[in-house]
Amino acid sequence: MRTTHVGSYPKIPDLPAPGRWRTAAEKLQRGEITREEFRRVEDEVTREAIADQVGAGLDMVTDGQIRWEDPQTYFARRMDGFSIDGLQRWFDTNVYYRQPVAQGRVAWREPVTVEDYRFARSHSPRPVRPVVTGPYTLARLSQNRYYPRFSDFVLDVAQALNRELRALDAESPPLIQVDEPAILQHKEDLALFREAAAALLEGVRAPVALYTYFGDARGVVRVFYELPVEVVGLDFVAGVRNWEVLESEGFPQDRRLGFGVVDARNTRLETVDEVLRALDRVSRFVPLDRVDLGPTAGLEFLPRRAAKAKLVRIAEVKRAALEVTR
Amino acid sequence: MNGLPLFPTTTVGSFPKPPYLLEARRKRLRGQIEPEQLRQLEEQATREWIQRQEELGLDVFVDGEMYRGDMVAYFADEMEGFAIAGLVRSYGNRYYPKPVVVGPVGRRRPITVEWFRFAQSLTGKPVKGMLTGPYTIAEWSFNEYYPTRRELVLELARAIHEEAVDLERAGARFIQIDEPAIHTRPDEDFDLAREAMEIVTDGLSAYTITHVCYGDVPRIYPRMLDLPVHQIDLALKNEDFALLEVFRQHRFTKDIGLGVIDAHSHRVETAEEVLDGIRRSLEVFEPRQVYVSPDCGLKTRTIDETVGKLAAMVEGARRAREELGAG
Repeated sequence: MRTTHVGSYPKIPDLPAPGRWRTAAEKLQRGEITREEFRRVEDEVTREAIADQVGAGLDMVTDGQIRWEDPQTYFARRMDGFSIDGLQRWFDTNVYYRQPVAQGRVAWREPVTVEDYRFARSHSPRPVRPVVTGPYTLARLSQNRYYPRFSDFVLDVAQALNRELRALDAESPPLIQVDEPAILQHKEDLALFREAAAALLEGVRAPVALYTYFGDARGVVRVFYELPVEVVGLDFVAGVRNWEVLESEGFPQDRRLGFGVVDARNTRLETVDEVLRALDRVSRFVPLDRVDLGPTAGLEFLPRRAAKAKLVRIAEVKRAALEVTR
Repeated sequence: MNGLPLFPTTTVGSFPKPPYLLEARRKRLRGQIEPEQLRQLEEQATREWIQRQEELGLDVFVDGEMYRGDMVAYFADEMEGFAIAGLVRSYGNRYYPKPVVVGPVGRRRPITVEWFRFAQSLTGKPVKGMLTGPYTIAEWSFNEYYPTRRELVLELARAIHEEAVDLERAGARFIQIDEPAIHTRPDEDFDLAREAMEIVTDGLSAYTITHVCYGDVPRIYPRMLDLPVHQIDLALKNEDFALLEVFRQHRFTKDIGLGVIDAHSHRVETAEEVLDGIRRSLEVFEPRQVYVSPDCGLKTRTIDETVGKLAAMVEGARRAREELGAG
């Protein structure tokens, strides 16, 4: 079994510790510090996020997405064809994102995540997984004012993000995580999703993890299983019916399961026993050595203390599970 | 009804806090001033906003919520069963203190009644009683206590109902129950949110309003019309009145709080623009259904922007009345 984080980490510590990132963001807005100075604060906070994950005892970490305003803007603002518009609610959360608007042909312009990945890797004793928002989700959460057909829009975004994945690939990461939560809300687009995923993964040699959350994969999981990915990530809290998916569809023998069972959206801390029981249950479908145990989604929905407690718990569960099987 | 003119003008609830009050709130957090000193400044700021509403010529007033930080945390702070979990980012560098339910929820004592009385004592115009709805309080809090969301929402509904009854006893003729989170899980939870609203408004004789914004209103329409309130207040301006198309398909049977001012842009709208918004809305509403308001609370605007926007709104409504010969 591998323990891993799968996304964002709170950018500021709990009160009364000063929120350096927040103060710096305010100063940047007021023009009191330079972009370069702000970047140094982001660097420090990224190192904190990595240190918390490593300190918790995870086998694999992310950079905490400290530099991401949100999972849409972070990519769209550095691609051709997009402008950035007003606030929209992000799925069923109380978190908001600035909506990208396709104003022209969407294309890749420059690496978005590569520098961040290099920085995180050089400051982490544990392997780092870079995360990329998937083409279907990026297009679905944007407005389209350019393409006559939504499918053309999605496929151009997939082409652009394929360049991003290839740029990451050149860094030989242990794994690239692609987030596609939106397909769970729009299962009618499954064929288009599959086509976009194929275009996205074309020529990518690094192992890829496809992650979904905030829902269940009934009716679409077969397509996830058919894609050339190493890990399929599912949310078993908001998507509690993913248990039915395992019952009815099983799990392929040559894939790993991203087992999202520690709730990223509630402060209530799962007990070790509770997660061990879930592991026991999932082991009927997937041997534990092919399970990636993690939170259901990024942890920026929580205050930092609660986020860290979740990661510590995940590592504790792995230790307890090893003792049980020893 | 209610002695109000055609197209009564009102606002959604919050106004920007003046700089002296923001400073005092910071000092209070650091323990540098006493609660009583903060309270005096909150009262001063409330007086100023009542005075501005008089000068602007609004028809239905609010107290401006000078004493509230966040619309959910305020109620959580005042009720049993909650703690504050910590700061959570909502977007950009905006953070809010997110409550967590740690025990049975309920009122210790009336929450908003004293402020309602204070604001109403300053004006002859009706002041709205302003409550956050049970579904939104539950949805925007963590829950470490109740086994299901349903139990939490219904228990909160009973507490907010008690508060509404107390507001009515204190003389509130208008009671607004904000439910901006109501369409978070439109299929799974809308019936629960409706059931909760039935509990909140049960037996009230006041004119009741619910405010809904930021989300997929078409997904809960026309079911939304089953909410047991007299008026539904909606943001139309920020999507350039796109919702009117939805209401064209299925008649809107309640009064509408017509959001004609974008609460999240710095630009001050013109009276002509407001008039145009009202005219367009009259293609789907009867004139007597329409209350004129901004899209949302104005607390993120500056005081000057707020006054400019509301002046345009009041003037736009006046011209709309005039056009219908009801001026």
